[in-house]
Amino acid sequence: MIPRPDAGVEDAVLFLRDVKFTYESGVDALRGVTLAVDKGEYLAIVGGNGSGKTTLAKHMNGLLRPTGGQVLVNGAQSSTRTVAELARVVGYAFQNPDHQLFCRTTQDEVSFGPTNTGLDEQEVRRRTDRAIELMGLSEVRTRPPLSLTLGFRRKISIASVIAMEPQVLILDEPTTGLDAREADELMAIVQRLNDEGRTVVLITHEMKLVAEHANRVVVMADGRVVLDSDARGAFSDLELLRHSKLLPPPVTQLAHKLAQIGVSRDALTPQELVFELMRGEEP
Amino acid sequence: MTGFLDLYSEKDTFLHHLDPRVKLLAVVLISVLAFILTDILYLVILLAFILLLLVLTRSSYGKAFFALKYVVRFMILITLLWPLFDRSGVPVLFSIGPLDITEPAVWRGVTSAVRVGCFATVWYILMFTTSQRDLVRALVKLGLRFDYGLALAISFRFIPTFGLTLESIKDAQRARALELDKGSILRRSRNYVSVLVPTIVSALRTADTLALTLQSRAYGAVSNRTYLREIHMRRSDYIALTVVVMILLLPALAKYVYGVQI
Repeated sequence: MIPRPDAGVEDAVLFLRDVKFTYESGVDALRGVTLAVDKGEYLAIVGGNGSGKTTLAKHMNGLLRPTGGQVLVNGAQSSTRTVAELARVVGYAFQNPDHQLFCRTTQDEVSFGPTNTGLDEQEVRRRTDRAIELMGLSEVRTRPPLSLTLGFRRKISIASVIAMEPQVLILDEPTTGLDAREADELMAIVQRLNDEGRTVVLITHEMKLVAEHANRVVVMADGRVVLDSDARGAFSDLELLRHSKLLPPPVTQLAHKLAQIGVSRDALTPQELVFELMRGEEP
Repeated sequence: MTGFLDLYSEKDTFLHHLDPRVKLLAVVLISVLAFILTDILYLVILLAFILLLLVLTRSSYGKAFFALKYVVRFMILITLLWPLFDRSGVPVLFSIGPLDITEPAVWRGVTSAVRVGCFATVWYILMFTTSQRDLVRALVKLGLRFDYGLALAISFRFIPTFGLTLESIKDAQRARALELDKGSILRRSRNYVSVLVPTIVSALRTADTLALTLQSRAYGAVSNRTYLREIHMRRSDYIALTVVVMILLLPALAKYVYGVQI
């Protein structure tokens, strides 16, 4: 693994120190993960099925408690705080929105989280309005969430987490089942949240999302972090990615194939590749 | 919560190989026997016999402990509570306020506890040694309509799945700062709505998909379907059947025909 220069623990909004986790069934899901997430980062956690991505993310808001090691949220031990307390700092949108939605209107659904944290009515209203506007849900505000399309359902489930205004937003496979347009729309909103200074942790299989958005990639395999770098670095090592059951985005794969004619291997977007190729043409 | 459903483990014992129909009958007959016997001595012998069979299933200690934990708790509860409600007979052992604890009542409590112990433990033998598929197959073979059998098999199969879904839903709502076990009763029951609704919705969605899957695999195309695995009675099954019937028949004859007190 490529170690990162030790970022100050005190700056990190999340700090995991040698976190180990064994499920009751005896499966070692995490075998010692150390990770510091700084404020404002856009971090992608990638890895094959069963590599420990979701288990790791569930440690970040206390849904799972480490069987070894420590989790610090804003520099304080998370072990002494309940999930409800941590939820104000670390928001977690689950992969399946249908596991969250239950209210009669979108508005009620979005205000459920803030209400639980004990905010006064005015503040709940303000946050709900803001989350609904941000996620572009105004048109379905009074509609029942469960009868909307998956794209909307996912947006509502994310809005209901955003409304709690957490510093960190964890998104578990947010684009599964969405068509290209819905996915682009959603990711643009998430990008905006990150630009506003919110830390985003994205758990995904989809390397295209990683290449386009994340400024840091953590690759997991067998319950360990095998690579921790920026997206460019992450996709340069094909062997390691393959070992982690991953493939770089198509454009980077193409760049790797074109390496023999002098194209740089680290193209992350089609534009970059086109630029590379055009440069090669020039005399 | 899924502990009761994965009691079965694949082992190589005669109890595992026995025809599931014989096992089902054996469990029913031994349960009946537990109700026929009234003498504590014979009931203890029966319980010992059942525990011996339980050992012969070669189940792991973990499973056996899990299973017996509930039985033992229940037996202790019966033993303690019986004399409080049954105050007939003499001699009175001691009195607590208006309550008289009598010796016969204590014995009746112990007897009932052992009887319930027999009745409960014998079902574990069936659950330890018979897979749900075999159990359903046996019921269908015994005349249960196939679609009812399938419905039964499917509900067994999906209980752990719904257990996982329920866990995931609880986690999802906890991540929205829901505290299930805090607040007044009204608040708590309202909180549970946030878990119940997604659970029911996801169950209905699963059922819908399942129905389509069954249809697309030609379920119900012919009324008389064939089976990949047929169950047949072998010689050992007939021997076991005879023994089991005798175990009930002999004490029943002794009691009801010859009037022997047992």
